Amino acid sequence: MDQKLEGTPKATLQLTGRSVTRSEVSNDWGTRLQWQIKRDGKEVATTVAGLDLTYEHPDTAPGKYEVVLQQFHYLNYKKDKDGKFIESKYVNISEPVSYTI
Amino acid sequence: MLHIGNQYLPLCSGGNRRSFLQIGAAAMAGLTLPNWLKLQAAGAVDESKAKIRNCITLFLVGSPGHLDTWDMKPDAPEDIRGKFKPISTSVPGVQICEHFPRMARIMDRVALIRSLHYSTGASHENGQRWMMTGHDFDAANKQPHMGSVISRVYGSRGDLPASILLPTGIGNTGTTTPHGQESAYLGSAHQPFILGSDPARSDFKVADLESPSGQSELRVEARRKLLHEVDDLQRVVETNSTLERDTAYARAFNLLTRPETKKAFDLTEESPKLRDRYGRNTFGQSCLMARRLIERGTRFVTVNQFDTVFGISCWDMHSDGSSLNNTYADYEHILCPQFDLAFTALLEDLQQRGLLEETVIAVISEFGRTPKLNARGGRDHYPSAFTNFLAGGPIRGGRVIGSTDKIGAAPHDRPVEPPQVVASIYQAMGIDLETTMLPGPGGRPVRLIDAEPIRELFS
Repeated sequence: MDQKLEGTPKATLQLTGRSVTRSEVSNDWGTRLQWQIKRDGKEVATTVAGLDLTYEHPDTAPGKYEVVLQQFHYLNYKKDKDGKFIESKYVNISEPVSYTI
Repeated sequence: MLHIGNQYLPLCSGGNRRSFLQIGAAAMAGLTLPNWLKLQAAGAVDESKAKIRNCITLFLVGSPGHLDTWDMKPDAPEDIRGKFKPISTSVPGVQICEHFPRMARIMDRVALIRSLHYSTGASHENGQRWMMTGHDFDAANKQPHMGSVISRVYGSRGDLPASILLPTGIGNTGTTTPHGQESAYLGSAHQPFILGSDPARSDFKVADLESPSGQSELRVEARRKLLHEVDDLQRVVETNSTLERDTAYARAFNLLTRPETKKAFDLTEESPKLRDRYGRNTFGQSCLMARRLIERGTRFVTVNQFDTVFGISCWDMHSDGSSLNNTYADYEHILCPQFDLAFTALLEDLQQRGLLEETVIAVISEFGRTPKLNARGGRDHYPSAFTNFLAGGPIRGGRVIGSTDKIGAAPHDRPVEPPQVVASIYQAMGIDLETTMLPGPGGRPVRLIDAEPIRELFS
């Protein structure tokens, strides 16, 4: 019996300056949460979304930043030769928020 | 006073009426309930005479590496300390893996046993038997699961089985030897009831609690009345053993038809927020169901986190590139977060409901994992040192029992063996190990476990 993740997790984000605050996750799969940060459309960082609901990305290089909350979606066990998942992956569980520096 | 189990349970043998019931009742009622229902008719324990507690055991099938979870060695060489970092906890001086942030906050309620070890074989099944029966493997003398012992000693409380396995029994973990989740010489009356279904699924149903297709509850009720009529005719010439048999069938019908009993398995009665708190996955929802069952009368619930170690994401981190290819990625993205969420939800939920004082939580596994990473970056089986932990009931939290050496290869002080953990669970559940005996093989009285409890857990 493999792990069954039921439903679709969701969270909402609120932006205050560069600081992003997330809601609790509804339909939480229990897998790892992370923040994904893009600058000018390109991923520049991912970091664990810990117990603190608020996150502020430290990078101040000019550009348009987009922040989204993601959760790991375990689909199956398949991995590549380096032990990394092939089909299981992080998926967005919130709408992104953005700011410009 | 010497107690031999709960009470003597005569087993049915022979007799026309029973033959009728065996053949007829299952067909009449459409029952597919396991054998325990056919035989189990234990009387109630006088709870006023002892502080009886319940137990929820979370069995981490596959076994987490102790160096990657609850016995980290940040000063060891890189190929020993592994990838993860330790974090501080609510107990000064006690650190655990960074991927258990919620558990770190409640360490004051948890007692880690870091010096567990045994020296016999390193198969999964061997570890399962050690940790769930307290005994080494002996093909000629199989030993009962802790839940079966509790069923025999305490009996049932209400209509629910005394011991339940969630979500299912352990299947293929490498060899064909027993997993230690059977009733053994205690007989099928004390076999754990196996849920056999995934409570995380939206279409979840307990197969044994559903009327077969085409049989309405009305029809089941009609068949129950028919059985009663037959019973009335027969009762005048029957014996006490028949009445106990009747109890088993009444319980079967109750499980099928009583709304309260079926509700015990109905997670939709829980708030979505609480279900989220446990994690919407198989393990998390099983932990939530464990709480519901304890709340409603089950004495011993075992949650098997997995039923196999092959081809799924589990703790068995060999990184072998094939069917045992669990890696740090599994720990980091799935296993540690899910455990952290579910374990802390269970403990906090029990506490908020006033049930933690009367419920022991035991988190156990087969063994630890090799101190040195293998060539593929994984860790293999290692029974010479590992960490398990207890909480709830009379267990004193915020303490660490024993330690391992600098690389986690062997106990450094206060070595603990599996039977001592099992003895501690029995004692924590209120059993006096000095005076309580079981009817062993051949009916001779045997001790529940040949070991002393770990006294530091209680003082």
